[in-house]
Amino acid sequence: MNIRQAFKMAFRSILGNKGRSVLTMLGIIIGIASVMTIVSTINGMNQQSLKQFEAMGTNKITVSAQRYDGQDVFQDLYDYCLQLSDYVEGVTPNSTLWNVNVVYGTKSSKAMEKNQENMGNSDGMSGTDVELPPNMYLGSDQYAVCNNFQIEKGRDLSFLDIQKYNQVCVLGAQAARNFFGYADPVGQTMSVNGYPFTVVGVYREKDPDSQWSQDNIIVFPYTMSRILSPGETFSEFSVKARSAEAAVEATSRISGYLTGLMGQNQEKGYFWVDSNNQWQNSYNEQATMMSVVLGGIAAISLLVGGIGIMNIMLVTVTERTREIGIRRAIGAERSSIVTQFLIEAAMLCGIGGIIGIAFGTLATRLAGRLLIQIDIWPSVTITLGAFALSVALGVLFGIYPAAKASKLQPVEALRAE
Amino acid sequence: MLIQINDVYKIYGEGLESEVRALDGVTLSIDRGEFVAIVGQSGSGKSTMMNVLGCLDIPTRGDYFLDGTNVRELTDKELSHIRNRQIGFIFQQYNLIQNLNVLENVELPLIYQGINADDRHDMAMEALERVGLAGRVKHRPAEMSGGQQQRVAIARAIATHPPIIMADEPTGALDSHTGHEVLQFLQQLNREGTTVILITHDNGIAATAPRCVRLQDGKIVEDREQEVDWL
Repeated sequence: MNIRQAFKMAFRSILGNKGRSVLTMLGIIIGIASVMTIVSTINGMNQQSLKQFEAMGTNKITVSAQRYDGQDVFQDLYDYCLQLSDYVEGVTPNSTLWNVNVVYGTKSSKAMEKNQENMGNSDGMSGTDVELPPNMYLGSDQYAVCNNFQIEKGRDLSFLDIQKYNQVCVLGAQAARNFFGYADPVGQTMSVNGYPFTVVGVYREKDPDSQWSQDNIIVFPYTMSRILSPGETFSEFSVKARSAEAAVEATSRISGYLTGLMGQNQEKGYFWVDSNNQWQNSYNEQATMMSVVLGGIAAISLLVGGIGIMNIMLVTVTERTREIGIRRAIGAERSSIVTQFLIEAAMLCGIGGIIGIAFGTLATRLAGRLLIQIDIWPSVTITLGAFALSVALGVLFGIYPAAKASKLQPVEALRAE
Repeated sequence: MLIQINDVYKIYGEGLESEVRALDGVTLSIDRGEFVAIVGQSGSGKSTMMNVLGCLDIPTRGDYFLDGTNVRELTDKELSHIRNRQIGFIFQQYNLIQNLNVLENVELPLIYQGINADDRHDMAMEALERVGLAGRVKHRPAEMSGGQQQRVAIARAIATHPPIIMADEPTGALDSHTGHEVLQFLQQLNREGTTVILITHDNGIAATAPRCVRLQDGKIVEDREQEVDWL
């Protein structure tokens, strides 16, 4: 007997008993739908959080370091990172400027700070219209690389800007809107603590939905610290690694280098090196834990569904003992009977699986909209996996009834009513 | 010799007090082309005889040679092959599969032979034409009369052109007219060279067979040849 015939027979037998087939499939349908929904939703959540991590800058290493003798660490760190160019893409100070007033026309950061203070007093001012003061940073020409910014208009800070103490700055998209509205900021001159600074570029928006966004920034060449924050040394740096593996390597090498610089017990200064991949890893661990727990619950429902299939197949074998006898009498081998019942069980589960996938897809999309407000489609891998799983369940739970059916002696099977 | 059984026993519950000897030392040989009626009261062992001869059951003791092969030494798979290719069964209760239509029922033994769909269809249709049911191939068994169902069963038995037909009370569930038609069909098959073994409790039917073997309490009590009008 060939396989095509066996499939035809199985299909006919399932159709011949529609009500019972549907009830049997119910367990598999619910099981597959829930497994699929859980796995896809968690997948979607992971992807969303990955996007957030990416916006913050993946493979970014945060370095805090300061020498007690007041000497600047950055030049040493910069030189060392040049040697690590296999692992490191860029390095920049990440120093926040305080007490700096940026003015353009009628707009000033001091006034925006006032707004922010008033917002806390809740005197009826609507929070959403308020222009918040920009965060101001001193950075190197690699600030954009390190913080995952891309230039939208104009140009980025250059090495020469740093070298030549050029009075220039680059704006984040939100800061550009706050100060310039719809006008083009590139080429305009802003007054920073009274010094004229030329806007040379605007970064592309990363995080459009948030008021407190990463886009409300102004970046100055770090050598401008001599007029914007005189006497201050840099203690916060960002290093961008080329990959997750490189981040691990670079983190340990930079730690080693700084240990050499600061002394074994940090007697000459303190330092702290942290990769934000570590945050991501701990998030991933939690997500994995969640998938395991929820997936386990869904797996139990699948198991129950599978046992239901086995039960029904056993009933089917008993009910069809005479048919098995007839088939054996006219020449069916044991293996043909096994094949017939196995295929029937696998097909029952396979059809249940397909219906389950349809419901699972629907539930996934619903869960994505309602729970995490994103559009999720179950991935091809998950869909194919769910189908394979349902067929495998059919085979697994069909084996025992099929074996039982094939062991019947023809003469005894024929005697059954 | 096509069929040869030597001192065959089929004993249920051997050694127990309730031991039943369905076949009690039977020796019988049947030649190719014979038409043999095996007749006996109920409980005489004739159904057990048919099960043993049809390779549906294995005797407790004794040898069974079918076309020179000792059936006792065959595997389950080889027995399936013999049932499939050498023997066509006709049962009292027709034994058709209810959720298959007429054509599919007749095709079933051909499917197990691994014959391709086109040839299978032709062979099954040829068998159904012989029994006069070629026009009702899409019907389910339940939609047909007893006589028609038995004709489907006959078509299924002859579809593979087996050398042996075994019929177990083929007329038992039919009225006398339809039963007579079935008998005539078996006689026709025998005239064409098929060996026919007919199991019956009915002496009238046994009288239509050229050879009659009578069983009683698992033993052969009579084995005689007789004149018939149809040969």
